[in-house]
Amino acid sequence: MKEIVTIQVGDFSNYIGSHFWNFQDELLGLSEEPHGDPVFRNAFLDMDVLYRTGETQQGIATYTPRLLSIGFQGSLGSLSSCGSFYDETSSSDPSHVITWTGKITRQASKPCKKNLFLKSLEEDEHRPPLLDSTSVREDYSESEIQDKDRVECLQNCVEFWTDFSKVHYHPQSLYELNGLWTDILEFDNYGIGKDVLLSCSQGEEMKERLRFFVEDCDHIQGIHFTVDDSGGFSSVAADFLEHIADEYTNTPVLLYAARGPKSRMDENKRQLVFRALHDSVSLTKLSSFCKLMVPIGLPSLSRSKAATFLSIEDEKPFHCSAVYAAALNSISLPFRMDAFGSSAASNYFSGAIDMGGLVYMLTDQARQNSVAILDVAMPSPPLTGEERKGSVLQSLHSLTPEVAEDIEDAYQVETAVIHGAIHKGGRRAAVSEVKDSFYEAYESFPNKPLFSHLSVTQSPLPIPLPFPSIFGSHVGPRGELLHNPIPDSQPRGSLNIHSIPMAARLRSSNAILPYVEKRLTNLQRFGIDRGAPGSELLRSWGFQNDEVQDMGEVLSKMAMTLKPHSGMSSDSE
Amino acid sequence: MSLRLLNQNAEVLNKSAALYMNINAAKGLQDVLKTNLGPKGTIKMLVGGAGDIKLTKDGNTLLKEMQIQNPTAIMIARTAVAQDDISGDGTTSTVLFIGELMKQSERYIAEGMHPRVLVDGFDIAKRATLNFLEQFKTPVVMGDEPDKETLKMVARTTLRTKLYEALADQLTEIIVNGVLCIRKPEEPIDLFMVEIMHMRHKFDVDTRLIEGLVLDHGSRHPDMKRRAENCYILTCNVSLEYEKSEINAGFFYSNAEQREKMVAAERRQVDERVQKIIDLKNMVCSGNDNNFVVINQKGIDPPSLDLLARAGIIALRRAKRRNMERLVLVCGGEAVNSVDDLTPDCLGWAGLVYEHVLGEEKYTFVENVKNPYSCTILIKGPNDHTIAQIKDAVRDGLRAVKNTLEDEAVVLGAGAFEVAARQHLINNVKKTVRGRAQLGVEAFADALLVVPKTLADNSGLDTQDVLIGLTAEHDKGNVVGLSQHTGEPIDPHLEGIFDNYSVKRQIINSGPVIASQLLLVDEVIRAGRNMRKPT
Ligand SMILES: Nc1ncnc2c1ncn2[C@@H]1O[C@H](COP(=O)(O)OP(=O)(O)O)[C@@H](O)[C@H]1O
Ligand SMILES: [Mg+2]
Repeated sequence: MKEIVTIQVGDFSNYIGSHFWNFQDELLGLSEEPHGDPVFRNAFLDMDVLYRTGETQQGIATYTPRLLSIGFQGSLGSLSSCGSFYDETSSSDPSHVITWTGKITRQASKPCKKNLFLKSLEEDEHRPPLLDSTSVREDYSESEIQDKDRVECLQNCVEFWTDFSKVHYHPQSLYELNGLWTDILEFDNYGIGKDVLLSCSQGEEMKERLRFFVEDCDHIQGIHFTVDDSGGFSSVAADFLEHIADEYTNTPVLLYAARGPKSRMDENKRQLVFRALHDSVSLTKLSSFCKLMVPIGLPSLSRSKAATFLSIEDEKPFHCSAVYAAALNSISLPFRMDAFGSSAASNYFSGAIDMGGLVYMLTDQARQNSVAILDVAMPSPPLTGEERKGSVLQSLHSLTPEVAEDIEDAYQVETAVIHGAIHKGGRRAAVSEVKDSFYEAYESFPNKPLFSHLSVTQSPLPIPLPFPSIFGSHVGPRGELLHNPIPDSQPRGSLNIHSIPMAARLRSSNAILPYVEKRLTNLQRFGIDRGAPGSELLRSWGFQNDEVQDMGEVLSKMAMTLKPHSGMSSDSE
Repeated sequence: MSLRLLNQNAEVLNKSAALYMNINAAKGLQDVLKTNLGPKGTIKMLVGGAGDIKLTKDGNTLLKEMQIQNPTAIMIARTAVAQDDISGDGTTSTVLFIGELMKQSERYIAEGMHPRVLVDGFDIAKRATLNFLEQFKTPVVMGDEPDKETLKMVARTTLRTKLYEALADQLTEIIVNGVLCIRKPEEPIDLFMVEIMHMRHKFDVDTRLIEGLVLDHGSRHPDMKRRAENCYILTCNVSLEYEKSEINAGFFYSNAEQREKMVAAERRQVDERVQKIIDLKNMVCSGNDNNFVVINQKGIDPPSLDLLARAGIIALRRAKRRNMERLVLVCGGEAVNSVDDLTPDCLGWAGLVYEHVLGEEKYTFVENVKNPYSCTILIKGPNDHTIAQIKDAVRDGLRAVKNTLEDEAVVLGAGAFEVAARQHLINNVKKTVRGRAQLGVEAFADALLVVPKTLADNSGLDTQDVLIGLTAEHDKGNVVGLSQHTGEPIDPHLEGIFDNYSVKRQIINSGPVIASQLLLVDEVIRAGRNMRKPT
């Protein structure tokens, strides 16, 4: 077995993670449902890759994400940082303090109320199992009203990433940074997060927790790392990545650098310089401690092509993160495809690959580019008929910002995942059909990649109840694209839509060049050139001149490898 | 870090408003921490929004749990936390002292005095106080046979400010012995060589010193022994896990058969490394019933575990980096980075290795060792906050003992030093100062009294009475502190109340620096958070 340890650093990455784990939780539930859709029951997904088996001190077996989540103090909302499983039920009654016989004062912050959704989760758990049987479930009308309320409550009241999480976390999983003494709004640049890990106790604690999860692994295949790199968490992550590279040298890291919806406009020049330099430093530092980095997060997801069939409210992290999470889930499927020795398995999936294989394929084959692009088709279109040839390829759109479109790149390398694909009528496509249609599509495609790896499974993306209502009126209950839109124009969510066929792709392509070049130019203009307006700022972030020069070199080298006809690795021509 | 950096969108206040804002912030922070000070202080239970609990009696922990927004308060908090980082104690006193310096200054400034003059006085007073500390401190000889009684008294003094007496006293010996265990002649004391390990245990509150090491993981193979005596210990940092090479990862260009071959070859390399360890085991363990334990910093995968288990070897993987160092100090031998240079000399020795399981948590005890220079303090408690509370106290205690060994001096506590220094400043120093800077010296001297005053206050005593009693004794030439029970003057020496010299020194040093900065401020940047809330 080859385990993955997941690390989420920063608020938006925890939002993404929250959806990601909801998907996994849903998959787990569906695979156990005796009368459920066989495509989920026989998904041939080895969930042990992402989850660990444990045991509470009371001897109760647990199954929890192999996850380390780092967040700002107070970002867990109504969820206790020790999770909900290994509940110590320690009393907040001062008389229980057993280390001090002197005076005691009790200071309680305002209790964070659980929303309707979380409350109903709790009640579900405490309900005696008898009532949970299918016979009661059939008592339709009542439960449906309830679900509607739950969904609606989330639509309006998500404040924390924990507000819509239905997952149980291990007590080692959730770590809050404390003693930063900054408002979350001021924790907004590379410099401010720089010393967090150095502060002895916090850094040690993060490293220890990671070690806890790694020690548990028989044979770790890689670390799935998501960072919200819009502010101080970028440097927290960079320092952590450096530690990982040092301590777990041969363990591959797949890094997503995620941006949430923009919370404020940069009004003046100073702020523009400030943001631009942060972005440049962030890219340089993060990319230097991992082999493969994927920037995700569009300035306006709702207006992007990726959201053609979606109805997103950009300002809601709850909405945006759902899309990124869906794509991350798709990309991670091949890491856990497992035949369990079954020969029938090949009917259900193909193209298993481990994280190391994927990272190596994208970074080391054609050119030494370490920044990849994430594309998604949500939902992926039906594959039928002559007239639809190439439609999957055409419907994949980037979630990575600032990439060039319609680029010709003879050295493009990509790895795609298509899962749950359906035919026009709604019939589920066989794995071989999906493969054939994908490669056929490339036949007629003008820009063929140098190399393309495809993974396919039959199981679609399940839509869990706390998924936001973001589907447009063209999306049907099984994610099929409807010819006629549904008249009621309200965005649709988990109440109407049960699953979605998905396609996602990571590609290493020179289409990323504008992204890199912009950061290079900005660093030069604002940080390096004589009289650069931001050189003082960089110094205040703790970067001396020569270090800034070095960063400039890293970025220009990165850009060079991407320029057509230059920077090719020597062995290729 | 400058104030300006802390807040980009700040609003500039005029000078005198700024000054009063600084004073108020300092007083505000003082108010929060005041009740924490000393053995009669208050413990604070902080209940978070989700109902989770943090308990703290420690100024340092409390500051870190607070969400401080005011830039002045942040500055003071940073100084206080730095105080703890540098000297290991005295956070609360630092905050109180800075607050009191500001409070005393406020009086004079209200009467029209220029802050500059006060700051000059602070400077003189600070130097005089540091000099006074040199003659006031109690030297202790810490040669090859350190004065254990003094060490215990220092440890007990700090511990009793964090834990109730009986619990504190139980820990005193443990802590002193812990530090003495890791002390090597002519080398600085590295407290990291005392591992602090905890176990959550429903009904048990107990702390033990283990002359050996406790690791928070166990072997990963069902057939490995859970208990073994007379063990050779191999401490290593060698990957015993199959890792796909990069060439192999690019399998897209090679066929399946080639790939299989390559995997097999790479697997063989791992097996060979394992075999070398087994060979060494067979060499040292043949003809006797000694055991062999491998503690590895890198991974060990199931096939390797199988091989090791079959050879009767106990193996732990992914040990903490720091434990590599500790193990060698505990068991002897050396940590090896490659199996190529394995010799029996690399091996350490432990009389007993055993595993303890609590739910999913496993612990491995490496004990009965010969001449350890590293040890473990094992804390058992029923829940996280109790454990954290004891851990904090243990850390404080360890630092206090280390400081004493390094300072070769201690300082009489219970307010004795502060009162003595104050009297010295007023009676001897002030008159040597020309002009109004005298008032700065006076303000400084009075600010020192915040420590005995607060100690008295926290004991529910009348602070005026207590201070009058103390100063009177000092003027008679008796060095006394206050009794936490009655407020009567006591001899801290007789009572065994000692503080660290370096902690006091650091407080005297850093307090006036920050206070001066805050007094001389030209402008203050006020946090403008309300101007840009997220939409
Ligand atoms: N038994 C005692 N009687 C009176 N004062 C004491 C006693 N023990 C310690 N103190 C005083 O308590 C102060 C330390 O309190 P503490 O709560 O540890 O604060 P800090 O964080 O500043 O170290 C010192 O001034 C010390 O002299
Ligand atoms: Mg103390």
